[in-house]
Amino acid sequence: MTRVRVTAPRQSAPLAPGRVTSPREIAEDSDSGRLFVRSLIRSQLRLALVVACGFLVILAVFALILVYGPGVAETRIAGVPLDWLALGVGVYPVIGLSAWLYNRAAARNEARYRDLVEDK
Amino acid sequence: MNPVVSLVAFLAVSITTAVIGFYGLRISRTTGDFYVASRTVPPWWNASAIGGEYLSAASFLGVAGLILLSGTDALWFPVGYTAGYLMLLLFVAAPLRRSGAYTIPDFTQARLDSALVRRVTSLVVVAVGWLYIVPQLHGAALTIRITTGLPSWVGSTAVVVVVCLTVVAGGMRSITFVQAFQYWLKLTALAVPVVFVLLVLAGNGSAPQAPLTVNPTSQAAAGAYQHISLLVALLFGTLGLPHVLVRFYTNPDGQSARRTTLIVLGLLSVFYLFPTLSGALGRMYAPELAQSGQADALVLLLPGRLIGGTAGDVLSALVVAGAFAAFLSTTSGLVVSLSGVISQDLFGGSVKGFRLAAVLAAVVPLGFAFMTDSLALAGSVGLVFAFTASTICPVLLLGIWWRGLTDAGAIAGMLTGALLCGGAMVAGTVMGGGSAPAWLAQPAAWTVPAAFAVTVAVSVMTKGRVPSSVDRIMSRLHVPERPVVTER
Repeated sequence: MTRVRVTAPRQSAPLAPGRVTSPREIAEDSDSGRLFVRSLIRSQLRLALVVACGFLVILAVFALILVYGPGVAETRIAGVPLDWLALGVGVYPVIGLSAWLYNRAAARNEARYRDLVEDK
Repeated sequence: MNPVVSLVAFLAVSITTAVIGFYGLRISRTTGDFYVASRTVPPWWNASAIGGEYLSAASFLGVAGLILLSGTDALWFPVGYTAGYLMLLLFVAAPLRRSGAYTIPDFTQARLDSALVRRVTSLVVVAVGWLYIVPQLHGAALTIRITTGLPSWVGSTAVVVVVCLTVVAGGMRSITFVQAFQYWLKLTALAVPVVFVLLVLAGNGSAPQAPLTVNPTSQAAAGAYQHISLLVALLFGTLGLPHVLVRFYTNPDGQSARRTTLIVLGLLSVFYLFPTLSGALGRMYAPELAQSGQADALVLLLPGRLIGGTAGDVLSALVVAGAFAAFLSTTSGLVVSLSGVISQDLFGGSVKGFRLAAVLAAVVPLGFAFMTDSLALAGSVGLVFAFTASTICPVLLLGIWWRGLTDAGAIAGMLTGALLCGGAMVAGTVMGGGSAPAWLAQPAAWTVPAAFAVTVAVSVMTKGRVPSSVDRIMSRLHVPERPVVTER
């Protein structure tokens, strides 16, 4: 492990190692650079909102089915009521899957941005 | 339950915590080491540490207790606690790591270029931290009282003393190791007894005393408003918790911050299966605990009730150890992040100031804990999430994603959220837990949108105050680091 020595920890800390030729400079230096950054932020925000809304919609549908679904209250799987299984176990894979998909897509957005900046 | 066994378990956890803390002392020397473990913690360690820090008294004792009382209504708590990390991953994890700030006040000051915003954020962070430490101390008091028969204050005081010693000794470098160890301890301490109880029950074929689907007390089912408000609080509260956020600064870069969060989600999902199982077992085999008002102690009492004998004692000791791991890890995480904030604002950011601030951060909530009574643990922690969601969350989300945020908007939003949510909490407490109307008992559904609305409205009205550094900061938050070739 490398150690980073910090002498004055007021408010800004050293950036991650390997960030010597910062893409930030490119971003600040030119109009097209600024445009790339804006479009990166917009695509990351859109992605985050899509995943968040998708997850919340699935959760809401889940909840509505458990409350209003015909026969749900009586359904049991291996002796355990369906609503206990759904809320106690079933939701977690949905959360994990959303997170995994998001991570892949976010990394892809960043790779696309890097390609754009390096092409320049 | 055998009091000697419980005391031994408590001492073992405290000593282990202290030993790992002192081991960390040897390798942490600079101020940077103290604050954020020099930012060289790999994702698995970091994820275990985040899990260790996050799983508090509410998760370890409170969730099972609440499930015992209210069944499927309570299952939404662990769902919300976990899904909060999804929101944190989506909106906060990578940009926050890239911001290069150590604490939330650092972030708001850098983003909005205003020392006043920094001071207001610091106040809010300290309030959140203190509010969150109090239920941990209540949990410790309850555990000591139930398992050893000693007076309540012994438990909470012991936790504060151990936390102060470890934090003062080693800072965050050692805290990272302590927390990672404590996640696995907590998981073992919940999982092993539950599995044993299940095996024993399957072996002797004893019939449940009560059906799973009927509440043991006459507790009314929660309505749609309560569910929505609870989810708003938990989903948006998690991404503003100071002790969770400070952990993200210890990732090497933005990408690894995201990977860490993904691992955390897995760790939490596995963990929450066990409080759920305990709660379900409690409803079927120990419903009388709910009637005698000992629901929060369910996890502690279950092995002794259903197994008994030496095996029961040993398993109880394991649960007590896990419970103290929960109080110690969450409290020390909060104390570290609070003392980071307090020492930078009051003592100029020196190591000595950090130590002084650590003691201050731990002793004040101890006073609160002595003065107040323990409510249902999961419920009182839920209120802290509501407060965080109404104060820190709007500033953080809008600061990361919206160029138009101004210092005036941020301050107005935080104050609105703090007044509305804090007011609802005080009013709800004064009226007494059961009799407060739902909109006061679960305020997040209206206080969070109100705080967002005020932040945006005031920012739009003070457009001229958007800092000139906004382009630079925004690109710093979102532009990916160069792939790190060496290391990792």
